[in-house]
Amino acid sequence: MSEYEPKIVSFLCNWCSYGAADLAGVSRFQYPDNFRVIRIPCTGRMSPKFFLSALREGADAVWVSG
Amino acid sequence: MTLSEVTSISGEAGNFEVEVLKKPRYVDMNKCIACGACVEKCPKKVDNDYNAGLNKRKAIYVEYDQAVPLKFAIDAENCIKLTKGKCGLCEKTCPTGAINYDDKPETVKLNVGSVVLAPGFKAFDPSVFDTYQYTKFPNVVTALEFERLLSASGPTLGHLVKQSKDHEEPKKVAFFQCIGSRDINRCDNGYCSSVCCMYAIKEAVIAKEHSGGDLDCAIFYMDMRTHGKDFERYYEKAKDDGVRFVRSRVHTINPVPETNDLEVRYVDDQGKIQTEVFNMIVLSVGLEIDGSTIELAKTLNIELTPGNFAQTGTFTPVQTSRKGIVASGAFLGPRDIPQSMVDASAAAGVAGEGLAPVRGTMLKEVQTTPERDVFGEAPRIGVFVCHCGINIGGVVDVPSVAEYAKTLPFVEYTADNMFSCSQDTQDKMTQIIKEQNLNRIVVAACTPKTHEPLFQETLMAAGLNKYMFEMVNIRNQDSWVHKESPEKATEKAMDLVRMGVAKVALQNPLAEAQLQVGQTAMIVGGGLSGMAAAETLALQGYETHIIEKSDRLGGNALKLYKTPKGEVIGDKVAELVESINSNDKIKVHLNTTIENVDGFVGNFKARLKENGEEAFLDHGIAVMATGGKAYTPDEYMYGNDPRVLTTLEMDEKMKSDDSLVKDADCAVFIQCVGSREPERPYCSRVCCTHSVDNALELKRRKPDMNVFILYRDIRTYGEKEYLYKEARDAGVIFVRYDLENKPKVSVDNGNLKIVVKDHVLNRDLEIEPDVISLATAIVPNTVNDLAQFYKLPMNDDGFFIEAHAKLGPSEFATDGVFLAGIAHYPKPIEEAIAQGKAAASRAITLLARKEIFTSGQVAKVDPVLCSSCGICVNVCPYSAPSFKTEGPFAGKAEINPVLCKGCGLCVASCRSGAIHHNGFDNDQIFSQIFAVNA
Amino acid sequence: MEFVGLEEDRLHFSWISSAEAVKFADVAKQVAEKVKVLGPNKKFVKRYPTKDTE
Repeated sequence: MSEYEPKIVSFLCNWCSYGAADLAGVSRFQYPDNFRVIRIPCTGRMSPKFFLSALREGADAVWVSG
Repeated sequence: MTLSEVTSISGEAGNFEVEVLKKPRYVDMNKCIACGACVEKCPKKVDNDYNAGLNKRKAIYVEYDQAVPLKFAIDAENCIKLTKGKCGLCEKTCPTGAINYDDKPETVKLNVGSVVLAPGFKAFDPSVFDTYQYTKFPNVVTALEFERLLSASGPTLGHLVKQSKDHEEPKKVAFFQCIGSRDINRCDNGYCSSVCCMYAIKEAVIAKEHSGGDLDCAIFYMDMRTHGKDFERYYEKAKDDGVRFVRSRVHTINPVPETNDLEVRYVDDQGKIQTEVFNMIVLSVGLEIDGSTIELAKTLNIELTPGNFAQTGTFTPVQTSRKGIVASGAFLGPRDIPQSMVDASAAAGVAGEGLAPVRGTMLKEVQTTPERDVFGEAPRIGVFVCHCGINIGGVVDVPSVAEYAKTLPFVEYTADNMFSCSQDTQDKMTQIIKEQNLNRIVVAACTPKTHEPLFQETLMAAGLNKYMFEMVNIRNQDSWVHKESPEKATEKAMDLVRMGVAKVALQNPLAEAQLQVGQTAMIVGGGLSGMAAAETLALQGYETHIIEKSDRLGGNALKLYKTPKGEVIGDKVAELVESINSNDKIKVHLNTTIENVDGFVGNFKARLKENGEEAFLDHGIAVMATGGKAYTPDEYMYGNDPRVLTTLEMDEKMKSDDSLVKDADCAVFIQCVGSREPERPYCSRVCCTHSVDNALELKRRKPDMNVFILYRDIRTYGEKEYLYKEARDAGVIFVRYDLENKPKVSVDNGNLKIVVKDHVLNRDLEIEPDVISLATAIVPNTVNDLAQFYKLPMNDDGFFIEAHAKLGPSEFATDGVFLAGIAHYPKPIEEAIAQGKAAASRAITLLARKEIFTSGQVAKVDPVLCSSCGICVNVCPYSAPSFKTEGPFAGKAEINPVLCKGCGLCVASCRSGAIHHNGFDNDQIFSQIFAVNA
Repeated sequence: MEFVGLEEDRLHFSWISSAEAVKFADVAKQVAEKVKVLGPNKKFVKRYPTKDTE
């Protein structure tokens, strides 16, 4: 029986967290593979509709990071 | 050109021949993809200079992760292959064959018109001081080492630990200021390094943040020099946050036996000897010029100051002694980031003054392919999945991902590439796009942050709109971070490709707005910084208008007497005014005010009132050089006794050798009048130097005059420190006072009397001066209307807020508007002129483009849905949305694509769903959300 | 979130600068842990995932 693996939709700001995620790659920091990244231009772009919709579409959680 | 050294410069301004020695990198920059595979295999470990030697790097390395260019290099001194001929592991590992052990140094000759020197500084090496025992005790570290310990990308990932073997968290940290600065006994650096007080406070505050607040941080200092913009507030806040400030120079450190702790001995304010034990000691080391830079200056025949900085004039702050060679940054004197940024722009501006006639003559025309109209076509998506050697292919099953992509809607073609970014693959992709008649492209590879522009060029070469593209990040955010679970990583790659395909299917071609930049500059303010800006703009060929509200050019400088270097300011200002008036590119508008401004970057229109008459001025860019004035004090009997003067009035009296000054036997200068007070919590930056210089001048004129300076901290930063020393040597008496115990001025039997508490003697001191000079604060001119016209922010003190406190000091967040002089913050002549030139230089980067293309990824209003609520107008940080004033949709919002930065704030805030975001539209983001699960 | 009947830990916010790779990886780990504790999201789901998420 495999461990429960949630799907987490992450909205990452292009200038901040998306860059940090890239750098985490460069540094080869390993982290869980549950995230599906959607690049947004700025967290200001984030609308409540997005995370509600993500949850409705079967995502287990949403992570918004600026 | 990296790894390169200038060996000689011959010729003269306008026609220099520069000889450059290019040292070998041993890595072909065109082939290296910065995957880092070589580093993993390299067996040789070397001290990491970037982390101040606190950890190790390999012999093949990149200095730090964000380095530009992000290409590896081999350190020839340490490489086993290059030193012993054995190893060669990196060559075997490199997936692109970029390693070249036979790389040779080469000499390159360049023909240039101007040269900018920016060699920087090195941190003072404290190992020469036996008192601080830096080499002996591991817990005595330099501030640079401490900085790396606090850094999230540093050797301890930002976790503060002692450097002794126990590696415990410290409980008490002491900072010692002025190590290698303001010291001519143990080193030769008599100057103040300017930046250490501020960085020590910053490090103390951050250390406390990292350690949860219980950490005790004590800063031992002589004078606290927080003379930069908003620095005084930071200092006050640090005190509130519990950082301790101890005014004392520590003379001895002793180890505490059986521990790794250190006992320090110092004399406190009351003259008593104190001892205290700390776990760590941070040496706030100063800045100094490297020996190699001194050599370079000799080779280039450039004069240096006593501190080995480049010699410049107060009115030519970046010009070295050799014509055509300018300098910037710490080579001009110890300085912080904003000042270095100002110098850098000023240096570029001045270097460009001599090159204006040849601008653009060496450009190469870029070939473009006409864009194919894909309107009405069903999406035909091409998906290219990249192996990136083994970087992706070693973890993710790339062929399966490509195979999977074929099953997705609208995907017509898929392929997997070994290196998508290589030139031959690019050419192949262009070919395929044309042959397969594809109209939308997905590349699953590294990150769009570095490679999106490259692939967009490929699209353009194939005749596609560059926005018909989506990049899927399966390297940095997949294969590299999920190495242990290749199956899951492949699954994630498929999910991400599916999301990318869903998004790109909804993408439409985007147009980039094109905008003509008006080639005229308007400068508000005819003081020194405004004139300096005008001079650079005009010398670079641009029509420039100076708007001055008074009846003459010169501003505050007209009231000043002389510079600390001895230049008579009146004469220099007259020269500058003459050069402005005789320049036919510059039009001066005296007695003129600005009544209104319309428009935006490239197309501003100002309504002026010139000598009472209305006039209009179209301009492409504007420079705010609105200046400031002396604060009028209401204390120390100012206004009640004619012998109490402000600094500017004192300058006037000294200029005219007035009897009040000439006949005086005792003069007192009181510092911080109106500055560093609760209602004006900033340092006015120039007053210490000014008073010290005037005090010295009085002593020169009349050596037996008693001259006192009553101060809180003497802030003669940089090489201005020499003046302070000279003044003490000349017998000027410095008496420190506290804000709680300010000096008291009274009149007794017609004589002025000052009572001030002397800290050394710990009792009241009475002085009977013949003249008092008050170092009054500098306050900004009131420019609320201008701020409103151009939508410029101001801080609590009334100074303008620049685009970025560190990196953008001479420009505003509003495009096309620039900032210089005292309107930014109080500053001395050389800094005001440098910033004027910097603002001009920043403006020229815009003017020289003549037309600007804006991003296609901007917000757009659907006027049918717009309810005119005005939320977008209010939330936008860049003032891009406004209400239409005419046409069929008057009253509805519209967004100026030129000003829009594409952040999407308005899109998310719009209640009516009337704003579309090109490239990140709601339906596209929803399509990605819907595609998360197959 | 609570208002619509969803668990608080299904939505996470963070602020990470582009240089903070370590923080990014750490926060990612924490978020994943918290969500794993909650188990699969069943509320409001219009369409159950077709992939195995047991």
